[in-house]
Amino acid sequence: MKMRMMATAAALLLAGSISAQAADKTKIEFWHGLSGDLGDAVGEVCSRFNASQDKYEVSCVSQGSYDAALQNTIAAYRAKKAPTVVQVFDAGTLDMMLSDAFVPAHQLMEKNGYKIDWSKYISSISDYYANSKGELYSFPFNSSSALLYWNKDMFAKIGVTEAPKTWEEVGEDAKKMKAAGIDCAAAINDDTWALMEQFDAIHGISTATLDNGYGGLSTEMKINQTKFVDYMIFLKTNLDAGLFKLKVPQNGATIVQAFAAGDCAMMMDSVADHGVVGRTQKAGMNWGTAMLPVFAGTKRLNSLVGGASLWTLKGHTEAEYAAAAAFLNFIGQPTSEEFWSTRTGYIPVTKTGFKYLTDKGFYKDPKYAGREVAIASLTASEVNPHFSRGNRLGGFVQIRKEIRDAMNTIYASDAPAKAADPAAATRTLVQAELDKAVERSNAILRRYEKTYAGRDLP
Amino acid sequence: MIERTPILNAATHAILICGILVALVPMWLVFVAATLTLPEINTPPISIIPGTHLIENLTEAWVRTGMGSKLLNSLIMAVAVAAGKIIFSSITAFGIVFFRFPGRMLMFWMIFITLMLPLEVRIVPTYAVASNALSPLQAIFDVTGISWLYQQVAGAELDMQWNLLNTHTGLILPLVATATGTFLYRQFFMTIPDELFEASRMDGAGPMRFFVQILMPLSRTNMIALFTIMFLYAWNQYLWPILVTTDREHFGTAVMALRLLIPAVGDSTGGAVPDWNIAMAGCLIVITPPLVVVAALQRFFIRGLIASDK
Amino acid sequence: MARKTAYKAAWLGGLLLVPQMALVLTFFYWPAGAALFWAFTLERPWGGGNDFAGFDNFLSVFNDSAYWEAVIRSFVFAFSATALAMLGALVLALFCDRQLRFFRVVRTGLIWPYAVAAPAAAVAFRFVFAPEAGIFATIVKQHPDWWNPAQNGLHAMLMIIVAYSWKYLAYNFIFFIAGLQAIPRSLIEAAAMDGAGPLLRMRTLQIPLLAPTFFFLLVINLTDSFVDSFGIIDITTGGGPSKATTLMVYKIYFDGFRGLDYSGAAAQSIVLMLLIMVLTFVQFRYIERKVHYT
Repeated sequence: MKMRMMATAAALLLAGSISAQAADKTKIEFWHGLSGDLGDAVGEVCSRFNASQDKYEVSCVSQGSYDAALQNTIAAYRAKKAPTVVQVFDAGTLDMMLSDAFVPAHQLMEKNGYKIDWSKYISSISDYYANSKGELYSFPFNSSSALLYWNKDMFAKIGVTEAPKTWEEVGEDAKKMKAAGIDCAAAINDDTWALMEQFDAIHGISTATLDNGYGGLSTEMKINQTKFVDYMIFLKTNLDAGLFKLKVPQNGATIVQAFAAGDCAMMMDSVADHGVVGRTQKAGMNWGTAMLPVFAGTKRLNSLVGGASLWTLKGHTEAEYAAAAAFLNFIGQPTSEEFWSTRTGYIPVTKTGFKYLTDKGFYKDPKYAGREVAIASLTASEVNPHFSRGNRLGGFVQIRKEIRDAMNTIYASDAPAKAADPAAATRTLVQAELDKAVERSNAILRRYEKTYAGRDLP
Repeated sequence: MIERTPILNAATHAILICGILVALVPMWLVFVAATLTLPEINTPPISIIPGTHLIENLTEAWVRTGMGSKLLNSLIMAVAVAAGKIIFSSITAFGIVFFRFPGRMLMFWMIFITLMLPLEVRIVPTYAVASNALSPLQAIFDVTGISWLYQQVAGAELDMQWNLLNTHTGLILPLVATATGTFLYRQFFMTIPDELFEASRMDGAGPMRFFVQILMPLSRTNMIALFTIMFLYAWNQYLWPILVTTDREHFGTAVMALRLLIPAVGDSTGGAVPDWNIAMAGCLIVITPPLVVVAALQRFFIRGLIASDK
Repeated sequence: MARKTAYKAAWLGGLLLVPQMALVLTFFYWPAGAALFWAFTLERPWGGGNDFAGFDNFLSVFNDSAYWEAVIRSFVFAFSATALAMLGALVLALFCDRQLRFFRVVRTGLIWPYAVAAPAAAVAFRFVFAPEAGIFATIVKQHPDWWNPAQNGLHAMLMIIVAYSWKYLAYNFIFFIAGLQAIPRSLIEAAAMDGAGPLLRMRTLQIPLLAPTFFFLLVINLTDSFVDSFGIIDITTGGGPSKATTLMVYKIYFDGFRGLDYSGAAAQSIVLMLLIMVLTFVQFRYIERKVHYT
């Protein structure tokens, strides 16, 4: 009732004076974690929305990083000053789901009269943000998947014209490159998302028990008992042989920089960096993307989505929710997806958006060609409920850190180089470090289970 | 003083030159990086001679961050914190050192302990307080029944609100509530000779006159030193301003603006590569005002006491 | 530590403390109280839960080997950084106070690092120390394993100690130089007349008279090196490689605000605070006794 009176009053005012128009807009805040150029891009999305209609105004605030966006939102929520819409990264999804602090996406849209065809979302993307009934809790926004980037010029030097499809081929090519005088066949880092989570999904192996945590909070890590151990051994062996090079920001260059500068022939990285490589690459360099390799004989499953989604928080007025719904609806439009995918390296999250871009010849443009591989990778199979839905793990940020620490210890260790039997020593080293990481991660999972005692996954 | 010590002088110069190199080389690199183009930075070895693109990098950094209003906010915050800190801590230290009353040492320790738990560690509850600075008082009133009494008398519920988020006060007050200055003043007041104190008492001066007319002028050096230190402390704050201001256009500070130029290294996706030359130009803008303050004020706080002594 | 003489007007003394106490209670004790509450419950990040957990949080902290490693690292860091920053600053201040040629320029230059914001300083140091770019790159090209803080934990630790001390060297220098200038020139001249050379004067006159400043700086440096390293670590090493630079305060930040384990982090904060209190108490009890104020 009160709302209607206010709306009427607003309408009257609107009719009365044009100058009052700005004041009558419903204003909401949207906090996000992107900064730098990507942060600017989000700002442009908001300006586009604000220019597209005159009822609502979204003000976009960058919190600097994903972590900060989540931390600050929590602090603000506890102080009852939370923004209406917030961007939360993949690892925070379970925390959000158990928070009781949000309005589910499907409810929000229904209440505000938007009929969304939820099946338009690419299922390996939407599944991650949905409850067990398949209802979306948040809107996929900046989404990506991991790819193999390969330098065609360097592969040409060893007479190879296609990207390797298996890790065995990668190993062979790396040796040939060394012989051909190429110093760095692949740049690797310690990113668990591109190296571990994607590997497990496309190989159809478990990262954790109970369907990677979808089955309940009592899940346990399994990465020390699967093919992932062999993969770590593969990386370490090639690193020690001087074929692969470790590129992390702390030693002055990221894998993206190393690849773009033409120093390394391959990297495993998010499609989101496709634009960055294009902008910063060595002049004239020929490069392409391909799906991440698998071990020979693997039946490939779909890869995982990464990035972040948009959540609507509790504790706001109906008018603010109307504004939020309008904003989120705007973001899901094909033209918005086109803008977002052109401006950044992120991929469209709906089949309609993807089709719209394909039909317009977006992926034929040499600047953007290669990004469609990410969609192909995400849709390489039906989503497998046991392996390729993603990870629903509590304390996921800490767990990723434990695994990253294990990777770094493995990379840095000189035990294999000093041992009489390097192969055996490598295996011992990798197994020991992964065992330790699993033990620590399980302690984190148990702590999380205790903190959320009595709660079921939605 | 004229002494002939050539070997010692040579050693002195050598030591000081080493010191100055250690101090200035990192800053020089920031400056050089701010004068280069992006490709020049990204191809090692990095030059140690400045390039020619300083002005355009500075302009770009200024425009990207909207630096003007942010510098002003930083200035307001830094001056207010420094001034607030001097006032609060000198008065407090005076009370602690020159008076005898029960609970004196307890209070000193209560203030002193605040040195030991940094803002980073208690930031979530501190934020909650900042959203309503009267909430502790409200809670105390609720528990003690004063709220109930108020409701009986006034007929309305006692609901005290004092929001500090997105205000200059919110940027300032929590930073004033620490012990560094109190401790410094205490150390200084302890060195005041008893004779001076007795003499002022003999002259019939009350405590407040002693404080204002004797102690304050004497502590001028301390005051300027503390002002400088606190100005820098406040200017260089990073985490708290990011949290307490979401209205960045009106309340953003300069150091925060660095975040716009140096993207965080993402956990999974979203890790963007900074434009180092622009980022360094931004650094240069942000660190210049404190450098100027130090250069301008150090003459006073270092020479203050010599002047009165000669 | 009390003065021999003081005013008797207790009410005025108490009154003088009111403003600061109000601030400290509101912005320190109230939030710290909330942290204490969390340390004994299982706090959910978005609120709710709060089952009483007794000492569970503390036990799980103490049972974690990674925690004890962080404690040891914190001590190594705190004592090395304090020693480096204080002794370095003392030497520089003593020599700078000799007021030879150019000393004003040198003095300004030595103070400047303190004015640089931690994020800016950390970025600069990342530049200086990066093995693939910057100054060290040239050396590393010749001897590849000589320096690599991205993989070698010891190198990373050295890097944060140097980067941290760089700023505090300047901080300490400011106070030492101010303290030195406060020593009456007449006193020093008298000593010179008696035939005491500059080095002897430093040892027998200036250093003893700096004792109160020294004590102030010791307390501040030690406490700060336990709690103020966050900014440097976050930007230069991120606590790595493999936790090699994860100090107590960084672990608290990481577990609490990135890992969202509020209760675990709160328990760690309480432990850290107790530890620093003990350290400070020891300093007041055993070191301040040796300090002569007047």
